[in-house]
Amino acid sequence: MSFRNVWAVVRREYLQRVRSRWFVISTVGGPLFLFAVLAIPAWFAAGPGETRPPIAVVDGTDALYDRLADDLREAGFPTERARWTSTVVDTLRRRAADGEIDGFMMLDQFTLESGDAVLYVNRRPTAIQRATVRSAIVRAALEVQLEQQGVDVDAMLGGGGLAVELLTAEAAQEGEPRFLVAYVGAFLLYMVILLHAVAVMRATLEEKTSRIVEIIVSSMEPWHLMLGKVLGVGGVALTQLLVWTLTGALIVMTGLPALVAGGGMQGADAEVGRTLMSALPGPGLLALFVGYFVFGFFIYSGLYAAVGAMCSTDEEAQQAQLPLVMFMVVPIVFVLHVIENPAEPLSVGLSLFPLFSPILMWARIAGGAVPAWQIGLSFVLMAAAILAIAWIAGRIYKVGILMTGKRPTFSELWRWVREA
Amino acid sequence: MSDQDCAVRLEGVTKSFGSHNAVSDFDFEVPRGSIYGLLGPNGSGKTTTIRMIMGILHPDEGRVSLFGGKPDLVRRARVGYLPEERGVYRKMTVVDLLLFLGEIRGVPRAVARARAADWLERLDLGGWGTRRVEDLSKGMQQKVQFVGTVIHEPELLILDEPFSGLDPINQDVLETIVLDLNRNGTTILLSTHLMDQAERLCRRVCFISHSRKVLDEDLRTLKARERRGVVAVDFTGPDRWLDIPEIQAVERVGGVLHLVLADPGGHQTVLRRALESGAEILRFDLVEPRLHEIFVRHVGGVPAEALPA
Repeated sequence: MSFRNVWAVVRREYLQRVRSRWFVISTVGGPLFLFAVLAIPAWFAAGPGETRPPIAVVDGTDALYDRLADDLREAGFPTERARWTSTVVDTLRRRAADGEIDGFMMLDQFTLESGDAVLYVNRRPTAIQRATVRSAIVRAALEVQLEQQGVDVDAMLGGGGLAVELLTAEAAQEGEPRFLVAYVGAFLLYMVILLHAVAVMRATLEEKTSRIVEIIVSSMEPWHLMLGKVLGVGGVALTQLLVWTLTGALIVMTGLPALVAGGGMQGADAEVGRTLMSALPGPGLLALFVGYFVFGFFIYSGLYAAVGAMCSTDEEAQQAQLPLVMFMVVPIVFVLHVIENPAEPLSVGLSLFPLFSPILMWARIAGGAVPAWQIGLSFVLMAAAILAIAWIAGRIYKVGILMTGKRPTFSELWRWVREA
Repeated sequence: MSDQDCAVRLEGVTKSFGSHNAVSDFDFEVPRGSIYGLLGPNGSGKTTTIRMIMGILHPDEGRVSLFGGKPDLVRRARVGYLPEERGVYRKMTVVDLLLFLGEIRGVPRAVARARAADWLERLDLGGWGTRRVEDLSKGMQQKVQFVGTVIHEPELLILDEPFSGLDPINQDVLETIVLDLNRNGTTILLSTHLMDQAERLCRRVCFISHSRKVLDEDLRTLKARERRGVVAVDFTGPDRWLDIPEIQAVERVGGVLHLVLADPGGHQTVLRRALESGAEILRFDLVEPRLHEIFVRHVGGVPAEALPA
């Protein structure tokens, strides 16, 4: 009958959380927010900039205007060509004052040689607009100069191409380093584990302060209650991750190619889109991500449950969880180093320490190559840590959950563990 | 008393927290089918005793048995326990909370659902099942907590300071229900410092003070023994007979006269004298001492609120 108890707690915890407004908002809102961050700038960029009057460009070189017009329009300055005359400046000033044009730009031989130009405008351009215009001018000037030398301008300015041929067989087996996946994934693991472990702590504290725990532990073993809570909250976390992964996959598979192909992204943007798609983690990496999340969550939620059980107020709990936060921050401090140097002894050692494994081993795997035995060993060590933590935390939980009054000292905690 | 007749038995139970003795060398037996009152000031050890019965605390010395065995989970599932500090999951709906409380004591959800509906109807909470607990008033929450305590149809009901802060009407409703449950065979262990409540409900009482048992007796026997020779009378006719040596003092209490007798057993003589004098006796009652008086007499002092918890 005892496991029916655990199931009742899991069920309660899971349903209450999944039905809550917070869960719906964060689960649906998360991907929506991400989508908005990606889509809205693209939409704005593609959106109507034409309502603004054009910039008149006086091109004294006769070579730059055609190369510039498109780039300037993308920067938010539609253009029109103006012919050089001795009175052109006065004429354009008047037209700008009348609002016919937004301003004008003067290009001449100096522009070709040094990239200098002058932009007269009614309104101060934004820093980004200024930088875009400047780099467009420089690029156009370089193109003109290089073409005269017989250089393949597009290939050269497009960044060239570096083919990598690996000389050893071992190196050839390693995956492509995927910095973005490693780095973003590590932070995501940090956030999701911490968020839900803290949820376990808060739930424990709430049960304790509302005193309902006395009724519950009169009907079940305290550690069954703890197990039920951890499993319930963990289930909520996995549900959320699943929803995110599925919507993410849906957006990537339907939205992104359409965006790339459909002209929403052009030139350099399309390049970014293609890089992004090739950088996305495959199913194997996703499975490892879930694996490290689950093990990391069990480690930290056990510790956080014990903290919740030994405290009586939110403020106390905030303080008591600090050492745990330190354990989560250490891997974040080292994550860049580990991604860059996945095979270094320090990286290997840190990533095998069970409290750091969820973040650092993941970073090493995603960031480069890790021998399979190290991945296996990290899971074995984490499993051992989970058992040890469950044993200790379970005892602290059992005593603490019925205690009120001041927070126990370390020696008192040790007595709880010994005597419980 | 054999284990079969005994719902709860404590033998030589002692429990201390650090230097504070919560319960010292405590013996008692709660007979099956009784309503047993554990009476004492706050901080006298009632709650600690109950927590040991419920297996939440373990005695330092002595033995606690429940239904003739260790208070393990299987036996505890046959107990309905309403702690003094009772909590709820505020965000749950009333029915969900009751189903959960039933489920952790092994009641299938469908069964619990039907029982919950019956109980809510009976307690005038019919329309509130789908509302969140936090939307209910304090009194309604207390009634829901009571339903949560009996949803698994326990054989033994342990109520620690129950119905405190409930209005008199609802207090009455719940007390009637407790008496009904007892009539149908449920044993009740009631811990309280409210002597009136104990007097209304209990069949047997146990006084504790400063972590020790002071007295443990059937309430009617106790009252008979504690009678102090006071008679309430009402009569018409001559009142000269009141002036006899057997009557020590005469007090008017409400509409009746209280006669304090010189000899506690002298009421027969007094009655004879009254009849001989030609008075027509309308009422002649031996006044039962109130539990409150008995408690004060034995425990010495009114229930103190200020003792350490």
